[in-house]
Amino acid sequence: MSATPFDHLPVPDPGQPDLRSVPKFLWWVGVRQRKIVLTGTFFGIINLLCVALMPGVLGRGIQAIADESSSELQKAVVSALAIGLLQAAAGILRHRRAVGSWISAATRLQQLVARKAVDLGADLPRLVSTGEVSAINSNDVERVARVYDLIPRLSGALVSFFVVSILLINSSPTLGLLVIIGVPLLGLAIGPIIKPLQSRESAQREKLSESSGLAADTVAGLRILRGIGGEETFLKRFQNASQNVRAAAVRTAKMRALLDGLQVILPGSLVVGVIWVGGNLVSRGDLKVGELLAFYGYSAFLMIPLQILTESAQRLTSGVVAARRVMKLLRVEILQSHGNSKFPDSFNKLTDLKSGLTISPNKFVGVVCDNSLTADELVDRLGGYLESDQVFVDDTPFSEITRDQIRSHIYAQEKEPAILSGTISTLFNVKNSGRISMEQAIEAASAADILDSLEGDGYNAEVVERGRTLSGGQRQRLALARTIFVDAPIVVLDDPTSAVDAHTEARIASRLKQIRGAQTTVVFTTSPLLLDHTDHVVMISEGRVAAVGNHFDLLKQNDEYKRLVVRGE
Amino acid sequence: MKWHKPPRPTDESALPTTAYPAPPKDTSRLKKSFGLEKSANRLPIASEATVNSHMWNLLWSHKGGFLWVAVLQLLTTSAALIPPRAFGGLLEDLKNRPDATQVKNTVYIVIAALLLQSMFVYFTKVRASILGEFVLSALRERFVSRVVELPPNVVERAGAGELLTRTTTDIDHITWAVRDAVPVITICLVSIFGISTAIALTAPLFLTAVFIGIPFVFAATRWYLRRSPQAYRVESSSYAIVNSVLVETAESGRTIDALRLGEQRVNRTDASISRWVEWERYTLRLRSRWFPVVEINYILPVSAALMMGAYFYNRNMASIATITAGILYAQMLAGPIEAMLWWIDELQTGKASLSRLLGIHEVEDREIREGSPAGRDIAGEKVRYGYRSGKDVLKDISFMIESGTKLAIVGPSGAGKSTLGRLLAGVQPPNQGRITVGGAEIGYMPVEQARTEVALVTQEHHVFLGTLRDNITLAKPAASDEEVWQALRAVDAETWAKDLEKGLETLVGSGGVRLLPAQAQQLALSRLVLADPHTLILDEATSLLDQQAAKHLEASLGSVLAGRTVIAIAHRLQTAHDADLIAVVEDGVIAEWGSHEDLLSAGGAYAELWRSWRDES
Repeated sequence: MSATPFDHLPVPDPGQPDLRSVPKFLWWVGVRQRKIVLTGTFFGIINLLCVALMPGVLGRGIQAIADESSSELQKAVVSALAIGLLQAAAGILRHRRAVGSWISAATRLQQLVARKAVDLGADLPRLVSTGEVSAINSNDVERVARVYDLIPRLSGALVSFFVVSILLINSSPTLGLLVIIGVPLLGLAIGPIIKPLQSRESAQREKLSESSGLAADTVAGLRILRGIGGEETFLKRFQNASQNVRAAAVRTAKMRALLDGLQVILPGSLVVGVIWVGGNLVSRGDLKVGELLAFYGYSAFLMIPLQILTESAQRLTSGVVAARRVMKLLRVEILQSHGNSKFPDSFNKLTDLKSGLTISPNKFVGVVCDNSLTADELVDRLGGYLESDQVFVDDTPFSEITRDQIRSHIYAQEKEPAILSGTISTLFNVKNSGRISMEQAIEAASAADILDSLEGDGYNAEVVERGRTLSGGQRQRLALARTIFVDAPIVVLDDPTSAVDAHTEARIASRLKQIRGAQTTVVFTTSPLLLDHTDHVVMISEGRVAAVGNHFDLLKQNDEYKRLVVRGE
Repeated sequence: MKWHKPPRPTDESALPTTAYPAPPKDTSRLKKSFGLEKSANRLPIASEATVNSHMWNLLWSHKGGFLWVAVLQLLTTSAALIPPRAFGGLLEDLKNRPDATQVKNTVYIVIAALLLQSMFVYFTKVRASILGEFVLSALRERFVSRVVELPPNVVERAGAGELLTRTTTDIDHITWAVRDAVPVITICLVSIFGISTAIALTAPLFLTAVFIGIPFVFAATRWYLRRSPQAYRVESSSYAIVNSVLVETAESGRTIDALRLGEQRVNRTDASISRWVEWERYTLRLRSRWFPVVEINYILPVSAALMMGAYFYNRNMASIATITAGILYAQMLAGPIEAMLWWIDELQTGKASLSRLLGIHEVEDREIREGSPAGRDIAGEKVRYGYRSGKDVLKDISFMIESGTKLAIVGPSGAGKSTLGRLLAGVQPPNQGRITVGGAEIGYMPVEQARTEVALVTQEHHVFLGTLRDNITLAKPAASDEEVWQALRAVDAETWAKDLEKGLETLVGSGGVRLLPAQAQQLALSRLVLADPHTLILDEATSLLDQQAAKHLEASLGSVLAGRTVIAIAHRLQTAHDADLIAVVEDGVIAEWGSHEDLLSAGGAYAELWRSWRDES
């Protein structure tokens, strides 16, 4: 059995989901994996039917013993074995398909979410929070998928409940009715305790996340605590929180214990009813001893479908809620409009209407802003990430150009570019002009010492998520090296050396200018070490272009410029 | 029948981002170190023997509680054994002499037994959880109290990541095990014992029928447990990796868009899904072999009991009552056996986590040497230090810093500036040579003493979850409101702090009011005002702020710094300009040392850099 029913996952293309309504969406997912769901359902029904029929066989066996009929007994033993084996076989076949069903659904949904995230790209943070995306992917996807894992068991439960009811009514209408009415009543009787249990459980989870939050917070700031003091205070705080968890957990456990107690009493009362009614029937001679044993078994069996039904109700509810959240994400559309035009291979000017900033081609331009927020926004505009109908290349607004064309011509590096996890060399696994080698780019960004500090030859060293193991300056230089390597015709940089020491900054400034050569480069910065190397500088004050000129001239002539650029005066 | 593994909480931040290796294509065992120990464990892990003896101690120190639970469970099981027996008796009587009074009596007995059973169930569960939660809270509190007294160098080396994993994931796993696995296993053991005893008392020969399947189940389970715990751990981690890949995609949306990495990210997601599914397949293959064997354990005893029953009945060795009770007992027994097996591997996961928690207690304490400082001058004598042998970061550095000096350390990245700062703060002693404060080696002082002498502030400015006041009074929990406000005033933070709705009692940190980086930095410095050390080491303490904010802050710091020795590691040349002394560190040695004017006239690297920065070229 080394092949499994989901060997083909994940599928190459998850397809276009039907997002018109929750039922249509769930149906769409289900239809895509109908084979596995249907076969799973088949085995689910067989499996529970076997369980349901076992008491009847046992009853016959006991009756055969009582009647001293060895042929009947033989039949009973053989049937018990056969039904048992069938039950085991159908059980595992059902399980394999049930797991396959939920995994099929989960992988398809994860693929859809990932494709949506990529499609939204730079607009994603403006539309949905990362936490939301993560919550949808880790919780909601699984909840939706679990609906499909339920179907085989739920079908089994419904069919077997129906079959047992018929059997009971046939032998004794009284007993049959007792069971058919009694079981749903029991389901309802447990209901009132579920709500308070759930609210206690959620209170407990809250306390728990509070206390683990405190512990995590203490550990995250441990360096500071060890360096300055306050360990006692924080430890006491955690101990309090931990004791609150304990109290909440015991409160929940008491409620759960009550439920466990009820789950003895309630089904038990059904058994008592069966004994009472059945016993009387036997004493009047209307029922055989073996049949009474079978009834005793049936009433115990019916707890299984009851349990499955209760669970199904909960899972379906949470599945529908989760489906709504997944659909909401899948429905989000990107903000920037894009046309079909190409980006011109050569141009005369890039213009931003709002600020009046104009960039001429093939120059190394510095932009000095009086406010770093203005700089961030301008970089986004020049990259086509914001109000793309306001920014022009010659006379064409960015909004008329395809997204891919803009990206392949302009590389606008944001203030804190992401360092994606992987090795150092996978960082450079990006589309590039082929003009500059990885080593040259690293050298130009003065980042070679980072490789030396890593294990091995540096290139194969792992960089963890968000580059957390690197310092701010190291991340910044690696990102710059990557930008240099991409070698886009137009490069816009947002304060690329803010976390780098002066020695290194000076080195980067001259190398950057040299390696970019005659291509268009726009650097947003206030560092004189960088501005020193520019062809000319544009100063933006209160959102508009205030001065244009050579760095040294501006330094001499413009007081505001001097104040912005020369620090500490 | 519990088919599904309960989901186990996984902390995503602790996961490696690269995928785990693929599982075997069949059901062969995983190699010992499979994937899981991949991240370098820089903190010790307790040995199996330590864990076992600790578990035994735990059990022993709570023996009263355990005994209670066991006794209550035994009562529960006994009560549960009554109805089948009574029912069997009823069938016997009805068969011999149909009579309605027997029915009534049986019903009374069964009702009484049910009431008793449900009452005992309630008390067992309550007792078990009181005990479990007590043990749990003791475990986690003992762990955290050890964590907060770890030597600072261990804290730095291990990084927040690994400690965080132990604090969150491992504690979660143990909670899982103690809260569910331990009680379930205890209850199952007692049930099995109780039911077997009952069978032995009613029809001893039935025991053979009941245990006919046990050798098979035992063998299959042993086979399964050798493979499953590790496999499930990798499976759940690789599921979490699917999410961490997506989170990275979402967080880095802008970069991915800019670099046109969309297709790559989609492929990476599909690859991570594919790896997870492979693990799901592996565990499913394991279950596909194990489950049927366990299932048969439900079936065999019943058929066997029927046959044996017929045999005994024919020879008048057993009544219908005994046979019925025997068959029903045989059915009752399969449940607890399966549940117990099921939870044993949960327990194993808990044990692995426990070994990591207990490992913390094996961290060596800081070496303390006698001697208290006489004076406040700081001296370094032939200091050498390297993180890895053969690769010295600091090579033979000597210096003398008189009390009250403002020293700036400058130099290119990777030259060893931060390392020097850490040694000066006594985070740990140098490998060779000495760093002394007033003649006493700071790296060998108790942490609590060293930090009253020297304090280190780095660019890492953590805002603790708590009130503004909690965040400032670290060093002096009993500080008065006036003192706290004074500290805020000294770092130029009074204005915004006054604007907060609840003033000092405002909740800050994650979940509370979010402070700007500049404000967090001010908090970090205000802590120092209350800590009041005579020497401050500022390691790029303002590097993450934008220029204007940094400038402003530095201006207001004057009053805090006055009269103290200040050693500033900075990449802004302005800081160097304002210092009394400048140390240029290059490649692990002090290349230049002197005042700003001295260095300018010396015409070295510093002078050159200064001129290009001031555009005096």
